Amino acid sequence: MSGMKPINEKAGLLLEAAESGQLEEVSAMETVAGCATTFDPGWEVDPFGGVASLCQPMEADLYGCSDPCWWPAQVPDTMNTYPSWQEGKPSAQHDWRELDPVFPNTNAVFPKK
Amino acid sequence: MHRRVSSLITDGVMVFAMLLGTCAAASAAMSSAAAPAGLAAVRANCSGCHREVSPGHFDRISEERKTPEGWAMTIFRMRHLHGVKLTGKEQATIIQYLSDVQGLAPSETAPARFALERRPNVPDLKLPYHLHEMCGRCHSLARVALQRRTAAEWLKLINFHVGQFPTLEYQEGSRDIHWWKIAATELPGELAKLFPFKSAAWRNWSAHPHPSLAGAWIVHGYTPGRGDYYGTARIRRTARHRYRARYLLHYASGAALDGSSDAIVYTGFEWRGTAKLGGKRVHEVYFASTDGMRITGRWFLTHHSEIGGHWVASRATGAPQIIAAIPSALKTGTTERVVVVGIGLRGSVELGPGTKCKVLERTPYGLILTASVQSNATPGYRTVRIGQVHSRNLLAVYRRVDRLKVEPSLAIARLGGGTLAPVDAQFHVIGYTDVVGAGGKVIPVRLGAVPVTWSLEPFNAEAARRGDVRFAGTLSPEGRFLPAQGGPDPKRQFSADNTGDLFVVASHRDGKTPITGKAHLIVTVQRWINPPIY
Repeated sequence: MSGMKPINEKAGLLLEAAESGQLEEVSAMETVAGCATTFDPGWEVDPFGGVASLCQPMEADLYGCSDPCWWPAQVPDTMNTYPSWQEGKPSAQHDWRELDPVFPNTNAVFPKK
Repeated sequence: MHRRVSSLITDGVMVFAMLLGTCAAASAAMSSAAAPAGLAAVRANCSGCHREVSPGHFDRISEERKTPEGWAMTIFRMRHLHGVKLTGKEQATIIQYLSDVQGLAPSETAPARFALERRPNVPDLKLPYHLHEMCGRCHSLARVALQRRTAAEWLKLINFHVGQFPTLEYQEGSRDIHWWKIAATELPGELAKLFPFKSAAWRNWSAHPHPSLAGAWIVHGYTPGRGDYYGTARIRRTARHRYRARYLLHYASGAALDGSSDAIVYTGFEWRGTAKLGGKRVHEVYFASTDGMRITGRWFLTHHSEIGGHWVASRATGAPQIIAAIPSALKTGTTERVVVVGIGLRGSVELGPGTKCKVLERTPYGLILTASVQSNATPGYRTVRIGQVHSRNLLAVYRRVDRLKVEPSLAIARLGGGTLAPVDAQFHVIGYTDVVGAGGKVIPVRLGAVPVTWSLEPFNAEAARRGDVRFAGTLSPEGRFLPAQGGPDPKRQFSADNTGDLFVVASHRDGKTPITGKAHLIVTVQRWINPPIY
């Protein structure tokens, strides 16, 4: 490390950790913070077939998925199709229990009893 | 995000203009007192936008064929996006009519019935790879394969997708492929060839007299986690498309699974029932064979479609046949009660070399026997003979269970909470014994369900580090995984959701050495869009 110089705060902290023998305590973030076109974590399963690299907690970025119609088959898009889906639920982190499913007549083909 | 979306607005505006143009050009609704109720309902409720270009032929509608579920999804979209007002009765009439006159023939639904039956954890259809890229990234290919359209109609469906879900340009990897060129010029023709509007299968089925399903039936089915069930059903017709059924069924354990059902039959063979079975409310998605001699499918809990059972009903007046032996395997040196489900089972009974049996009771659904297997009987399949009928491979003799197979081998469960029910995952275990066949080849002999104990293990090191076993949920003694509560969990690193990547482990003890089998379970997050066809 003697030939390297940290150029930002995070690198500085990493250097400090290495020098004090605490490098193992610095762990890379396995989960993805938000999605992007080139680094899309997947809705149900991550690119590696597991869940460790999903965007988690999902609620942190849920409205970032519904606003731009990012997962049109899983998350109601408020851009075109379900514009009022998250109305009155400003915080997905706190209001996720009140978000309704959007396909009310799933059982329309069956006789009513 | 906003930057990406704005670049799509041009396409979106163009497509919406086309859709509005269709509505603006629509003719006034026509009416005819002589028209059947379904046609009249389509005229009254749809022709405001979908012009009736010739009697009974409506712009767009008449160039598509779909399953009842497919038409229900279309009507949902028309109500939700275009403000169509329908009573429940009008909706039911239109779904019935369109499913009857523009449905799919039995053979056309066969490859994708798993989607209609809502069978959980079934791999999607295998279609040409670019269809997985163009359609299967968001929804199942079964949804595509359960529709029939002209090429012009497939193109309009693609246009609709671009306007309604504009970010699909990014989902299609538009930086790397000419996705719109493929979607607009290649795909419509290809889909029209794979799933054509006009087909010999539909022509033949439309002309085929649809058999009545009324009568007496013998039922055999299997409920993962509970085992085989059997008994009788009596079905009577209450209206042209309506039936009422009464079931007298029970599990091999003796637990009753009696019930009754009200059903609608669409397209002459698509049975959709609302039933009470074993005290639980269920829906039935069955299909009748073209000769009306068999009704096959799956029932599932109304609020947990992932939990249900397989169903086969055979007409009691059919040709003599052996349908099932329960249990399907007998251990050497034991005496057991065996139920042989079948039709017209008369005459002497033989279960094959090394066995002896005696008929205890003759029932409407078959025979109840007591069967003994010699200690030195050779393991392997047996041919069951009853009078003039016989059946191979329905019954096996075994000395020990050599291997376990946990089914499904890969399952998905979903967290729940609030307005969404969790999606459970039901596992069951099939035992196998190995027998040495000709040339020393080892042949696995299927024994059926065997008793096991269940446990969970982390799927990999990362799952162990995250503590997935502790957080993701629990397994019941019947092999049903019950996911944990959704939402951020402050006890987890980064307050992650209670997702998990797990092994589901089944252990069977036959003698001193336990035998284990494993399946992979992904416990993942909720989805808020749950149509009848994913």
